[in-house]
Amino acid sequence: MSFLMDNLPIFLIAIPLAMAPITILTKGNPKLQKIIDIIVGFGLLCLSVLLITTVWKHGVIAYDVGEFGKYGIVIVADLLSAGMVLLNCLIGFLGLIYSYDYIEDKFLNQTYHSIYNLMLAGINGIFLTGDIFNMFVFFEIMLLSSAALIVSNENSKVTKTSDKMEATMKYMVLNMLGSNAMLIAVTSLYASIGSLNMADITLKIRVLAEAGAVPWHLYAVGLLFIIIYGGKAAIFPLHYWLPDVHPTAPSPISAMLSGVIIKIGAYGILRVLFMIFAPFQAVYAPIILVMALITIGLGATSAIGQSDVKRMLAYSSVSQIGYVFLGFGMAAMANVAGETTGAALILAASMVYLINHALAKSMLFFTSGGIIHTAETRDMRKMGGMISKAPLMSAAFLVGAMSIGGVPPMGGFISKFMLFDAGLREQFYLPIAIALIFAVFTLFYMFRGWMLIFWGERDAQYGEYSHHKLSPLIVFPILFLAVIVLIVGLYPEPVVEISQTIANQIIDPQPYIDAVLVRVIR
Amino acid sequence: MNNFFLELTIALLFGIGTFLILRRDMMKVIIGFGIISHSINLYIVGGGVFNGANTTVPILEEGQVVNQGLIFNDNLTAGVLGPIASNPFNGFVDPLVQALVLTAIVIGLATTAFILTLCYRINEEYGTIDVQELRRLRE
Repeated sequence: MSFLMDNLPIFLIAIPLAMAPITILTKGNPKLQKIIDIIVGFGLLCLSVLLITTVWKHGVIAYDVGEFGKYGIVIVADLLSAGMVLLNCLIGFLGLIYSYDYIEDKFLNQTYHSIYNLMLAGINGIFLTGDIFNMFVFFEIMLLSSAALIVSNENSKVTKTSDKMEATMKYMVLNMLGSNAMLIAVTSLYASIGSLNMADITLKIRVLAEAGAVPWHLYAVGLLFIIIYGGKAAIFPLHYWLPDVHPTAPSPISAMLSGVIIKIGAYGILRVLFMIFAPFQAVYAPIILVMALITIGLGATSAIGQSDVKRMLAYSSVSQIGYVFLGFGMAAMANVAGETTGAALILAASMVYLINHALAKSMLFFTSGGIIHTAETRDMRKMGGMISKAPLMSAAFLVGAMSIGGVPPMGGFISKFMLFDAGLREQFYLPIAIALIFAVFTLFYMFRGWMLIFWGERDAQYGEYSHHKLSPLIVFPILFLAVIVLIVGLYPEPVVEISQTIANQIIDPQPYIDAVLVRVIR
Repeated sequence: MNNFFLELTIALLFGIGTFLILRRDMMKVIIGFGIISHSINLYIVGGGVFNGANTTVPILEEGQVVNQGLIFNDNLTAGVLGPIASNPFNGFVDPLVQALVLTAIVIGLATTAFILTLCYRINEEYGTIDVQELRRLRE
């Protein structure tokens, strides 16, 4: 037990990495492969719960890989990382269950499990690593494995393979551009600071800034980091790949992409804006605020006109991640103005927003998979009257739509309320007004989608709905997430409390730095 | 003067790569990415070459760190934040960047292999790798 507790953070990366070759080796026995993978997925979920409770009780965990202290690779689990890892393991586990009946057997029994585990390892690695170059390596693992998963085929042949390939090409090209930019940024940072450890870089830049001797090109390096993470999170000028990639991917992968992978960008921005380049916040905060507002507007207005259900959800993701970034921008501006408690409040609100969006949007993508399975098309105009055919799907979609739109009993209401309340306390009247207008848009397009799919009658020319009953493996993840969304809406105190603590740790990263640099190494 | 030619090479390669990425032909885009990633590899290696007195390199000097066997601890109370070398080092290059560049090359190989396969399959599906033709075929 103590062996497990001592090496807890590395297990969350090493186990899925080890599973990749193991699932390849058991390729001849699909049943065994599925059982092994689901047990390991559940084990990872348990480990991530264990990690977050340990971090909650005992503070930041820093773990050396190798014995070189801060000169080697350090794995750091603070509350933010642990929370994101928990989110990833939860949605990853549910997505795995879902894909057993959703992905085509030919692909599922070949390399699907192995690539899926690689993706989980990559995402966990991004969240846990304390070394900026190591983060680049995990970015590439995540990028390649997620690109391979996007081209995988579903059982229902609604999306053409050629469409998938074209979307993946877009995804790969834009993300390779981002990776190249990240290499430039990391190298420039290393060449001027002389360290790759994030905590170490933070301290050194702080010392340089206090002495007033920051080299000017560090400002440009910080902007490059904002471009990289903004590209991952699909912020306004860099969002064009998302509405093509998320709809063409199979539904469990869309749920992972929208639920977790775009949150990587938000995580990176938090690390860059509030830790590494904290002295430059005054320069970056207005940029992020303006970009977030444009993203909110663009995503919401584009989502209104969509007829494809998954494309609408993808544009909604663009708009919603804008709200998260709006929180970051406002928090950074308040922090610059010296209002630390106000900044922490806004940041806590955007953390709650992030968690709620991850749960609700992945649930909606799972549901859209069920809808496509029943309707055998992605076009909402060719649906209608599905409420009698699939009442469960309609209830689940309604829960998700209410949560994204911010209607009271759901989690989305809590997050929107907290964000607007905290923003108004710091007198961000204009950004909140814009966000509020587009919140009405959000409500409109989510309910337009729900009514188009479930109300009315289906036109006879599009034929009957499929008589396949949805398998329990598809229904279980949807119900599970819907219940969580409801619980978070009715009893939000634990999530709010965790977010508050995360926000305080982000505003004052000293515990993180101390845990990495000042410690007795094992 | 040495460094001037290194910088010129990096800039030229980066420029050629950017030009190729903006082409319509998908193959040229991929080749452009290869060239850009090589220019960045040169940039990384170039980051490890230093001369002059005001360089910060991760080479430890005696007395700057508390050595505990294999492990180096920073002495935060004494104001030492890391191995900032005060003497001009002229006879070394930074060993870490060479490890970084190896990693970057391997990753570049993997991504290029993947995207080439993807491009080949797109050619099989659509019969063209012209980006604008593709857009026309989709609609």
